[in-house]
Amino acid sequence: MKRSIKIKPGFLLALLFPFVIGAVVMLALGYEPLDAYRELLKGAFVGNFNLGTTLEKFCPIFLTALAYCVTSKVRYFNMGVEGCFYLGALCSAGAGFLIQGLPWYVHIPVCFLCGVLAGALWAAIPGALRAYWNVNELCSALLLNYVAIHFANYMIAGPWSAKGASSQTVPIQESAALLRIMKPSRANVGLFMAVFLYAAVFWMFRRTKIGYRLRSTGSNPYFTDYIGVDTKRMVLLAAVLSGAIGGFAGAIQSLGVYGTIIDGFSNNTAFDGMLASLIASNSFAQLPAYSFLIAALKTGALGMERFTGVPKALIDTLIPMLILLLSMEGLFEPRSGRGRARKKLDGKRKEALR
Amino acid sequence: MLPYIKLEHISKSFGEVKAIEDCSIHVGKGEIFSLIGENGAGKSTMMKLLYGIHQPDGGTIELDGKRLEGLTPQKAIASGIGMVHQEFMLVKEFTVLENIILGFEPKKSLGRIDFAAAREKVRRYIEDYDLDVQPDKLVQNISVGEAQRVEIIKTLYRGADVLILDEPTAVLTPGETGKLFDILRSMRDDGKTIIFISHKLHEVLEISDRIAVMRRGRHMATLDRAQATASKLVELMVGREVKLDGRPPACEAGPVVLEVENLEVLGQRWLSTIKKVSFLVRAGEILGIAGVDGNGQSELIDAISGLRPILAGAVRIAGEEVAGKKPGQIRRAGLVHIPEDRNTRGLNKEFSIQENLAAIHLEAVSRWGLLDRRKLAENGQTLIKKYDIRPDDGRIKAGTLSGGNAQKIVVAREIEGGGKLLIAAQPTRGVDVGAIESIRGYLNRAKQEGMAVLLVSADLDEIVALSDRIIVLHEGRISGELPGGDVDMERLGLLMTGGKASETEH
Repeated sequence: MKRSIKIKPGFLLALLFPFVIGAVVMLALGYEPLDAYRELLKGAFVGNFNLGTTLEKFCPIFLTALAYCVTSKVRYFNMGVEGCFYLGALCSAGAGFLIQGLPWYVHIPVCFLCGVLAGALWAAIPGALRAYWNVNELCSALLLNYVAIHFANYMIAGPWSAKGASSQTVPIQESAALLRIMKPSRANVGLFMAVFLYAAVFWMFRRTKIGYRLRSTGSNPYFTDYIGVDTKRMVLLAAVLSGAIGGFAGAIQSLGVYGTIIDGFSNNTAFDGMLASLIASNSFAQLPAYSFLIAALKTGALGMERFTGVPKALIDTLIPMLILLLSMEGLFEPRSGRGRARKKLDGKRKEALR
Repeated sequence: MLPYIKLEHISKSFGEVKAIEDCSIHVGKGEIFSLIGENGAGKSTMMKLLYGIHQPDGGTIELDGKRLEGLTPQKAIASGIGMVHQEFMLVKEFTVLENIILGFEPKKSLGRIDFAAAREKVRRYIEDYDLDVQPDKLVQNISVGEAQRVEIIKTLYRGADVLILDEPTAVLTPGETGKLFDILRSMRDDGKTIIFISHKLHEVLEISDRIAVMRRGRHMATLDRAQATASKLVELMVGREVKLDGRPPACEAGPVVLEVENLEVLGQRWLSTIKKVSFLVRAGEILGIAGVDGNGQSELIDAISGLRPILAGAVRIAGEEVAGKKPGQIRRAGLVHIPEDRNTRGLNKEFSIQENLAAIHLEAVSRWGLLDRRKLAENGQTLIKKYDIRPDDGRIKAGTLSGGNAQKIVVAREIEGGGKLLIAAQPTRGVDVGAIESIRGYLNRAKQEGMAVLLVSADLDEIVALSDRIIVLHEGRISGELPGGDVDMERLGLLMTGGKASETEH
């Protein structure tokens, strides 16, 4: 089953169209769009700092996208990754400064374990509610986010506070810090861990028994129950796995990026991840590209705002537009393309008739 | 006789596949004309061309000497052609009368609907053709047979002189089928032209004046009733001899494998709620459950296989109590199960053929939780060969297969699943004659190899051809048991309708 990547002209148009609209808006506001986009590109890619910052932002968006994607495979819409992300960051930071005197090769795994467990357990609540009591996961997970975020903020401002001017926790021990790469940016080896985790999850879904069962649960739950797989357990498992990945992403933030946890550090990272997964139509293979695109846009927008004055909020509005356009597949297909689509449909009919 | 409807040199392709090739069919006025053929032979397509649902790529359609061009269903109706589809197109929340006049309402002043006129017109049809229909009932409360009669009145009401019925008997009991035939005959005697699509030979032989056979989009022959015999028709349909009306091979029943005792299961409706049902199935026998669809068959199967909760009673498979257990546990107790709906339960259409074939024994194709792709492919190839599944490439998505081949995947997986009890629910529904023959063969082989088989089918021919014993389910209760072999069809039909049939059928 070889898959070739085909880039359709309609796809490219859908990708470019939001930027055209962005340019029109900039012109209307009296800015120079070409300058702005040049700064956007420079801000995202040129120089160790800029590229490093893009990679630093890429890492949590990519992992939370992965977390969202995992649950989407069992038709579970996990809006709760943000909460897991917060708790993962908080608990790994806690383990990072409370536990002392461990060598780094023990301390770092322990911190990650704390973050992952926190995320997994937190995600298990809406997961179990949905699987066994049929409680809508959209609501429960979304609401639990607020609990998690406010709890984290309480810990940051209260018991674990560094008592400094800004609201943040006590810095983690040296032995818990992840190695930085591409200084002076805050990119770190967490990036490689993320890529590794992604590959492992991807592989698990495609090649293992558990993966078969998870995929089957999502693509046809009736079939899955009928062949004797407990779909409720599969849904819970996916939710827990998703939470664990969210927690892992949080741990990279506290151990790698900040070395502490700052009030409001996330700023809806997990929702950006969710958007990335949605643009990728929840396909594992497409996650990296879109996560990177969003990270680059976010990073570049900073540079653009700094040098041209165009508000970075403009870029934030382009991202939803991208999703909208990419999901309207075929809108930008040329007429002959529609003919092709029809032929494809007829081909399917033909197979059905056989 | 001058042909009334002339379909000449019709061809129709969907994409690259030729559904109809140079097919010419002539139907006379005032006759019952049957169109038979296997699934995919093109009979429904042919009639959809006449009814204007599809447009032909080539050829001409004439009605009463006038050429019909650019047909749409609206134009067909206006020309007096009506069609009763396999799936009824009725609004459940409306009454029978409202459904009949929908879209063709007689109007009074101010755009009000003239219900009195409509009622009068409908009453005339009911009386003329002795149609047992109550105009004021809600459609959701009427039986399948009645819904079909409503569809017939609907087409008459729209002024149909030509009535096309697409496999009308597939959903009926023998009693209801008889009733339908009486209606069709009286309509013919009234000068209507009836085109009857079916693949049930004895029905076709009973009702038709002339019979046309189609195979692979071509018209094979049109026979007068007097010339036609069952074996001749089958040969024309399939191109070879097929035996379907056999009797079950000898059985040596062994120990009890399935024991159902005072089972109670809540159903979708009261009709299908299982009320204190008990029966046994032994190793090496096929127990057939006959009954009209919706009398609790689905609920019974689902309860045994753990897919629906049990209210009370016991279910034992090979001595192990399985009531209240999960589907996976029940499978481990020895159940294999061909479900009645292959499209939702039986197959995962997103998965490849080989992934579907391995679904119930993933352990056998994996090691340490890891799917072994080589074993997966080997297992797939073995079963594909043994059960003649086409196409033979196991990596193709199951969703692209035809009904017969898709069903063979399910049958192969379950029969080879190493169970002691096989539930086979509607194992040949929507499958063509060739595949029916082989699937029935597989069931017989499973029985002879010592499996206990519980067969549920709405197709009486199938029940009779396979079952060593037959129990009849009516309104969630067992209304009787019959020995297999030469079955007393009249008694079977009676039991299926709860005995009430005796009043309406003398």
